[in-house]
Amino acid sequence: MSYTLRGRIESRLAALLPVVAAACVLASAEHRWWPVEAAGLMVGAGITLDVLGYDRLLRYQPGWAAAPLGLLELGLVLLLMRVAGVAAPVWQAVALFAGGWLTAQALGHAGFPLLRLTYAEDGGELGRLGAATAVAIGVVLAGAGATAYALRPPVVHLSAGVHQGPLVITRREVLVGEPGAVVRGGIVIRASGVTVKNVTVVGGENGITVERVHGTVLDGVSISGSKLDGIHVRLAGVVIKNCTVDMLGNTLGQGIDISYNMDMGMSMVEGCTITGGMEGITTHSSMSDIMRNSVSRTTMRGISVTEMSMGMVMDNVVRDARGIGIWCNDRSMCMIERNTVLGTRPDAAGHAFGVLASFQSEANLWKNQLGENPVAFSSIIDSEIQRDRSFSYR
Amino acid sequence: MQVAVVGSGLAGFTAYQTLRRELEPAEIAVFGTDDDPAATFRRRAAAIRQREMRSESDGHCGPTSFPGLAFRASVGRRSPAPLVGSLCDRFHPTVREFLAHVERLRVRSGWDASLRSERIERVRAVDGGFELDGHGVFRHVLVAPGHPGLNLPEELRADPRTVHAYEPHEYAPTVTVVGAGLAAATEWLNALGAGAEVVSVRRREPVRRPLNVAREYFSRRGLTGFHRLSAGERAERLKVLLAPSYPPGRRWDEPLARAMMEDRFRVEDAVNGARQVICATGFLHGFQHDALLARLVDEHALETADGWIVLHTDGSVPALTDGTRTLALCGVPAQWAFPAADTVPGAKYVAHGFLTRIRSCPTR
Repeated sequence: MSYTLRGRIESRLAALLPVVAAACVLASAEHRWWPVEAAGLMVGAGITLDVLGYDRLLRYQPGWAAAPLGLLELGLVLLLMRVAGVAAPVWQAVALFAGGWLTAQALGHAGFPLLRLTYAEDGGELGRLGAATAVAIGVVLAGAGATAYALRPPVVHLSAGVHQGPLVITRREVLVGEPGAVVRGGIVIRASGVTVKNVTVVGGENGITVERVHGTVLDGVSISGSKLDGIHVRLAGVVIKNCTVDMLGNTLGQGIDISYNMDMGMSMVEGCTITGGMEGITTHSSMSDIMRNSVSRTTMRGISVTEMSMGMVMDNVVRDARGIGIWCNDRSMCMIERNTVLGTRPDAAGHAFGVLASFQSEANLWKNQLGENPVAFSSIIDSEIQRDRSFSYR
Repeated sequence: MQVAVVGSGLAGFTAYQTLRRELEPAEIAVFGTDDDPAATFRRRAAAIRQREMRSESDGHCGPTSFPGLAFRASVGRRSPAPLVGSLCDRFHPTVREFLAHVERLRVRSGWDASLRSERIERVRAVDGGFELDGHGVFRHVLVAPGHPGLNLPEELRADPRTVHAYEPHEYAPTVTVVGAGLAAATEWLNALGAGAEVVSVRRREPVRRPLNVAREYFSRRGLTGFHRLSAGERAERLKVLLAPSYPPGRRWDEPLARAMMEDRFRVEDAVNGARQVICATGFLHGFQHDALLARLVDEHALETADGWIVLHTDGSVPALTDGTRTLALCGVPAQWAFPAADTVPGAKYVAHGFLTRIRSCPTR
């Protein structure tokens, strides 16, 4: 078909109207904004391509071109989602896009021509219907944007100085510490959708406790002097980034312990520095990615992924662990890539592994630096280490 | 009765299908001399042994572009191949499929109930509409007269060897084909297939394009600029757009290349001593060759340009169309509004505009 520019835009918007509606329903059902954000990006990317690209380049668009153009738009939308930080499950986002694409094809080839007698000769223009659709999409997206804006969690600023804890957070909010803000006695998070930023925590049973909630973000927190764990996560989904956990002197607690949240989606620990403690970062029955962290001077393992956990362990540096630098244990599945493990000390039995897979676990190793350990890597008790992607270690 | 269609060929038939979206057969009078709307097309297609349509999936007579002939062929053949071919612009319905489609629509639409076997020689504007040769006054009239006649070059008319491509004929051992369009290309292959030696005589190299005109001229994308042209510019543009052409592709090129290697096909500047001269030179051009249109122009002093009657963008005649009545031209004389007007989509284009005017008429 030879679309006019107006025809392209009107056809696109009319075809996306069911997708935007579906995204709103999905967002309501999941209590998450990504479907609406993704639909908004689909609208924006599509119209931008229509105006800047397709209208100039395609005087006539054969039917088959819908496939490569659809793939191009899918790639662009996924890229924009990544850049814009839209936290969408990739396959659900792809399914939403694919649904929109199929709807557009069905409407473009059959629905619109049946609805409007002159659809083909009008170059895809839909007349009043097109204008009404554009207004409807604008209203829906603007409404969604306004709702999202209105529902933003309140931001609570924690002033500089020492605040006596434990600080218990029972509502969705963003807690931002001013420079020098310290909570003594720990923080307990008991509401979903809480973000804690730039707060220093001293003491407490656990430095920060997150239990039975989802959507928690800990960004730039600094923890020291906790009696048990530095960050203690149970049955909760978290993103922990850019944190500092000082566990020196605590020989039994874990720096970060994320456990029993397999059904809460992926959790993440990224960019943290953990010193001391029994284990630096540990996950039990969890899907977690552990990336770009520095773990040192633990009294046992540096990083352990155990009890049927799954996840990536990437770009971490583990120094001076005892017994095992990175441990994949108890029917867990671990992608261990580009990590550096140095100076692992022998444990009581005299073992010292850079990486160990044990008890029916699977570990994929790729480009790790494990050479400066008594044993670089090993697997025991029905476990398997795969090195199928240009395996190397030094 | 308010609505009349003058002409019972494919253009009138296609327009009728669109009108039937909103009107009953009893509300439409079709004037024509042939019961079968595809009779002329059938005769000409048979003459050049055409087996496949040049048009694609949407070259059907239904009012909407969906379901197209590819969809129907896929259902009929129980195969996705026609639909896939259509996505790649490679689906061309067979002539047989097209004729069967016309026949189905003819039965289903009530065409025979609307048809009056009368030749209309004169359309005259009167108060409240148009008087059709003593058959009554109609408020909205669509004239689809078809091509005014076969075109034969002056110098070949008296030559006993000459036959027009669209007249029944066989092939002599040596054949000269005059022309460079689809009919000419079809005749090259036909004559070669019959074992003849073929000479192509043409004034210009043929244009190679899939459809009669560039695809953008089938939609507002190309039409908007076309409609903005002045009368003189538009007449010049039409000459370019309607230059003889036939589709690209190996189906055409390979047999010709093979025949050239065998010295059975060559191009020459003038008719030589071949035993048969086939003129694939299309049709006469200009309203003056059609008695009805010529009289219409004379009696109503209509504006013309280079053989075309000047029309609104929807194919209606400006001087004879207003809020209460409509006179529209359909088929080849509507090329002024839609360069591919002599195709089925062209007939639909005019019919859509005609129906829009009927809808908006306060006295409908």
